[in-house]
Amino acid sequence: MSKRYILLAILLLGSAFGLLMFPETKSDAKVSPTDLLMEINDPARFLETDHIAQRLIEGDPGLFLIDVRSLYEYEEYSIPGSVNIPQEELLLDQWKDYIDQEDMDIVFYSNGDVYADQAWMLTTQSGSKNLYVMKGGLNEWFRTIMKPEKPGEMDPTEVYDLYSFRKGASIFFGGSAQEVPALNDDNAPKKKKVVVKKKKKKAAEGGC
Amino acid sequence: MYTGPLTYFDIISTEWNYVIAVLIGIAFGYIMEASGFSSSRKLVGVFYGYDFAVIRVFFTASIVSIIGLLYMSYFGWIDYSVLYVHPTFLYSALFGGIVMGLGFIIGGFCPGTSICAVAIGKIDGWVFTIGLFVGIFIFSYIFPYVGEIFYGGDMGHIQISEYFGISNELFALIFTVLAVIVFYITTLIRRRVKHVRY
Repeated sequence: MSKRYILLAILLLGSAFGLLMFPETKSDAKVSPTDLLMEINDPARFLETDHIAQRLIEGDPGLFLIDVRSLYEYEEYSIPGSVNIPQEELLLDQWKDYIDQEDMDIVFYSNGDVYADQAWMLTTQSGSKNLYVMKGGLNEWFRTIMKPEKPGEMDPTEVYDLYSFRKGASIFFGGSAQEVPALNDDNAPKKKKVVVKKKKKKAAEGGC
Repeated sequence: MYTGPLTYFDIISTEWNYVIAVLIGIAFGYIMEASGFSSSRKLVGVFYGYDFAVIRVFFTASIVSIIGLLYMSYFGWIDYSVLYVHPTFLYSALFGGIVMGLGFIIGGFCPGTSICAVAIGKIDGWVFTIGLFVGIFIFSYIFPYVGEIFYGGDMGHIQISEYFGISNELFALIFTVLAVIVFYITTLIRRRVKHVRY
């Protein structure tokens, strides 16, 4: 066997061993950037508060609400039946069984929907399915469900139906059932008339 | 800094892709012919033990490409994840392997080298290539009856490293060690077999 072959064999083996020296490039991202972009552009991940309230009232076992705010905020107020997983802890192993499952629809919420959407992005990127975001977050929840606004006189029946549902939901979730007056002119406090007396013109005094 | 595959990321357009493919094809044919692969005596030498050039060339080509790809992937020159992995149909692979092996030793060519032989005007190469097309024709006609076997044992786009649950790097190393062992063994065999002039 010529020296050249031995040299070539050593070269190949050496470079093959070199492969083992590579640091492990383990990426958390299981979803390709293109697919992620497609999912981000799809607004179907946003669920309306009414839809969520409906499913909660019906006791849908396939709904799993996750509060991504801090524990302190969660203890202050949270939607009944929701679980608190702060956004920065989402990818920890202890929550993996909650988030990486196929059976339930997971809905994230925060005060608005920015943090919840970030949570959605993190978990989608790590390959989980059936993830949703509550549109508008808790602010929207309070505006629509907890303190629904009475529709105006001229609004169509659908709006009234929605209002009566929201009123019922409000009682169900223990919010104030009182009616918040709609902003129309009748109830608005009347402005006091300010009378401005015009100064009488004085006759020119003196002369020139 | 570009990331490959250059055609996948449209750095090389489809039109240029074909031009480059033709150039690579010409180079491939030239090298095959220059290393004597258009001689069926050299090719069947593998089966009789007097010439192992074919095995060595194929092993070398695959190790160089697997090591090269892994290094390029490490340097960020190529996106390993978008490379196309042909799906594995187990039964057709086994059956096709047997047919190919038989055809190789009976006909003295593999499909690629037969074209090389055609190019340099070998009559047996012509006959082999005509037979190849007749075979394709017959296969197309009986496909409805053998389609089930053809698509049988579908394992999807799987790699050997994936199947055994090891990393690509480890697989490359094992494969390289195997190849070097094969190179050595073939040298030993060749020394013992009577030298054949061809």
